[in-house]
Amino acid sequence: MELKNLSIRQLNNLFIEKKAKPSELYSDIFDTSANSESLLHAHLTLFEEKNIENAKNSDNRFENGKSTGLLDGIPIAIKDNINIKGELTTCSSKMLSNYRSPYNATVIEKLNKENVLYTGKTNLDEFAMGSSTENSAFGLTKNPWNTDYVPGGSSGGSAASVSARSAIGALGSDTGGSIRQPAAFCGLVGFKPTYGTVSRYGLIAFASSLDQIGPITKNVDDARIIYNSISGHDSLDATSIDSKQIKIPFDKSAKIGVIKELMEDGISDESRNEVNKVLQGLKEQGYQIKEVSLPLIKLSISIYYLIAPAECSANLARFDGVRYGLRVEGKTSYEMMQNTRAEGFGDEVKRRILLGTYALSAGYYDEYYGKALRARKKMIDEFSNIFNDVDFLISPTTPTAAFKAGEKTSNPLEMYMSDLCTIPANLAGLPSISIPTGLSNENLPLGVQVMSKPLTDLSLLSFSEIIEKEVDFNATPEGFGK
Amino acid sequence: MNLKPTIGIETHIELNTNTKMFCRCKVVVTEEPNISLCPTCIGLPGALPVPNGKAIEYITLLSLATGCKITRKGMFHRKNYFYPDLPKNYQISQFDLPVGESGELEIILDGKIDSVEIERVHMEEDTGKSTHSGTGRIDSATSTALDFNRSGVPLVEIVTKPVIKSAKEAVAYIEELRQLSIDLNISEGKLEKGNLRFDANISVAPQDSNELGTKVEIKNMNSLRSLERAIDYEISRQTKAFLDGEEIIQETRHWDEAKELTSSMRSKEGSADYRYFSDPDLPNMILSEKFIEDIEKNLPKLPNEKRSELMDTGLALEQANILGKSDSWIIELYSEVFDKTKEHSSTYNWITGELQGQMRKLDINFPPEWFSAELLSEIIGLIKENKISFTSGKTILSEILQKNITVDEIATENDLYQENNEEKIVELVKKVINDSEDIVQRIKDGEDKLVGFLVGQVIKNSGGSVNPGIAKELLSKELDL
Repeated sequence: MELKNLSIRQLNNLFIEKKAKPSELYSDIFDTSANSESLLHAHLTLFEEKNIENAKNSDNRFENGKSTGLLDGIPIAIKDNINIKGELTTCSSKMLSNYRSPYNATVIEKLNKENVLYTGKTNLDEFAMGSSTENSAFGLTKNPWNTDYVPGGSSGGSAASVSARSAIGALGSDTGGSIRQPAAFCGLVGFKPTYGTVSRYGLIAFASSLDQIGPITKNVDDARIIYNSISGHDSLDATSIDSKQIKIPFDKSAKIGVIKELMEDGISDESRNEVNKVLQGLKEQGYQIKEVSLPLIKLSISIYYLIAPAECSANLARFDGVRYGLRVEGKTSYEMMQNTRAEGFGDEVKRRILLGTYALSAGYYDEYYGKALRARKKMIDEFSNIFNDVDFLISPTTPTAAFKAGEKTSNPLEMYMSDLCTIPANLAGLPSISIPTGLSNENLPLGVQVMSKPLTDLSLLSFSEIIEKEVDFNATPEGFGK
Repeated sequence: MNLKPTIGIETHIELNTNTKMFCRCKVVVTEEPNISLCPTCIGLPGALPVPNGKAIEYITLLSLATGCKITRKGMFHRKNYFYPDLPKNYQISQFDLPVGESGELEIILDGKIDSVEIERVHMEEDTGKSTHSGTGRIDSATSTALDFNRSGVPLVEIVTKPVIKSAKEAVAYIEELRQLSIDLNISEGKLEKGNLRFDANISVAPQDSNELGTKVEIKNMNSLRSLERAIDYEISRQTKAFLDGEEIIQETRHWDEAKELTSSMRSKEGSADYRYFSDPDLPNMILSEKFIEDIEKNLPKLPNEKRSELMDTGLALEQANILGKSDSWIIELYSEVFDKTKEHSSTYNWITGELQGQMRKLDINFPPEWFSAELLSEIIGLIKENKISFTSGKTILSEILQKNITVDEIATENDLYQENNEEKIVELVKKVINDSEDIVQRIKDGEDKLVGFLVGQVIKNSGGSVNPGIAKELLSKELDL
């Protein structure tokens, strides 16, 4: 078996037992990306050379019994909206095409301590705004399962790189489903942790109250290993939570709820069937399952498309050509700023900035942004009430399997609908995971989403492993897996 | 027609914290640009704000000192506008949940105690500094130099209700606010350094009107002189416009120091919509009961409290106000000396007049370490008991400020003690009367003022040690005057 197909724990065991070396794994990964990148365009930057030296250092540590843990020598891909000191961090935007960060994101500082090898920076929808990675200023990324299809987004490059085995795992960011949806489209595990458990310091903000960094991996255990490494309180992020995890039961005493509203209109039969398949298996194992209703979930997209654009309209105001990034000259400072922003941002980014600016304008605030905040609060209450009755909520991750490139680009509303099932967890700050469960008629992966209450990330991961074991999904994209 | 002006003032005070409001960069005072920066205060992508606890403490302190109600659950908002020296193109500020609301500040106006109502006290971060080439205005500058040292320095903004009625009152208010910020040790309080900057909202309306006129805002003044002149100018400009039947436009005006007039910057139509919304990077700030109590407990003596304590010793308001604004060692010295002498007036005069005057001459900021309240009390006491003259007291003080010796040593060494023993003085008086028959005769003939000459003779014969008052009294007695 090729090293690149193994789990992090398996790889670590081989390294410790001296049956394999990190440098061998790295050349396996490197050879793969040499082929896959021209086909898929998962990475915007490949670190290649630097890693040869780093991989050798990992070799030496294992050789001398001084390895630094499970992630030592493991190649991880990083979404290109997470800052790595000295490296380009473009957000797939023309605005930052030449921008090198002078500092590390907190998650990078943490991974550095574990001697992770970074494969490079992966493609995304510009500033993480999109669901297909087609909104990248540097060209789209293709789905390894079928290159006519999108890998999902916005962490499409991260998902495609893990799926194509050009990375063992990846970091993505999830504002409305940007980790889980591409993971589902690429047959992977995608985990969005509880808001505040992973520091956002150094993640280039899209919508600050919704953004969260998390792993995209081949299996649940890999996701847990990366999550354990990147999570924890950070004094550089005022939204970082300084509380311990809460344990909830994940064995047969756990109560499962299936969300009525996410099994109805707008969800394809195929997606629904995956959920039913998982529920059937859990029932056979003796789990209690009941249908629950969260009526406000139907408003999630409306709420999200007021709150996220409003926050992004301010978050992206700093890109003005004054201090860094693209500058398009003008006769005055203001003209320079206007020219820079006109040329630097793509259409979807502009659409959301305009939407958000409008929603916050005098006279419209109460009607739009203010109302969205109130609705969000009510939705959070609805979730808290439900979690008095059930421990885990199950739904499809996406209404359909991956769609074809170009299929939805002319219809933003339809594109927005693909985040129907994933957005609620961001609005409520819940931990949420997508687990690959099967394939569609077109041989494209489908996933099931599980959510639980805040700060139960580890219990959620344990429960996900039960589902993972039960569905035993082990298909890989042709030409990239075993 | 006589119009009444109404003025509201917004003051920004730069806090003297060691570090900036939302990052741990040092607050620096330097001409060298861009030396105290980090990803957060220059708005690099991905950087986040973390509030400075000290700044929140200072703002709570000022809110409590102005009697404001504290908003326990405060909130930071983003104020959105584009300007090259605002790195994020939004300023973190407070909007509908400021730290303090509804307070008042006691002021001294025309020698009387008055007060100004405070609407709110809130915090925000300062911007960087722009230097526009050419005209100094951004619209016409061909280049702009940016210095972000100031970016993110904590500011507190204090907004009064529209209750101020004159430029003089506005100046009295700023003087008091400045003193308060110094006494609370939250700011250097230096106007010339721009530690306090103010905007004034001014309107005029007929005397009997219950409604305010259209307000005009004058932005960014940092001296009392420009504040006073700008308000006076604006009141007369608006009054003239009103009387001429012209419409007063709601607008922002700029005070031109050189031309001594205000000119229009922008009208309401062109004013910015700041699109305030709560900053998602800074979750609700909850000020705990204990946090507020601890600050309240450590509240130093406020200017009005100092004034009233000083007035309790017998000082007049004006005196208490002047002394209250002095350095704390001076106020302490006053209290200690007063406790010993119970002489408020001479204690005040000796400290604010003689002591500070002589220190200026000697070019020292503090009296020498051996100087004490006891020494000054002793001098004041000796004068009161007629043991030394006022002039001798000055000599003794001067000596003491220069060398470490006792009052008695100086007085003895320089023979400054006055002779108060009546028997001895009577002897001297009798001798002078015997030696000056002519003069005595002329006095008896009505030339009263020659008594002074005889007093002089008595003092001269005594070698200067006789108390002139007693000498005169005894002379008059002996001469049966």
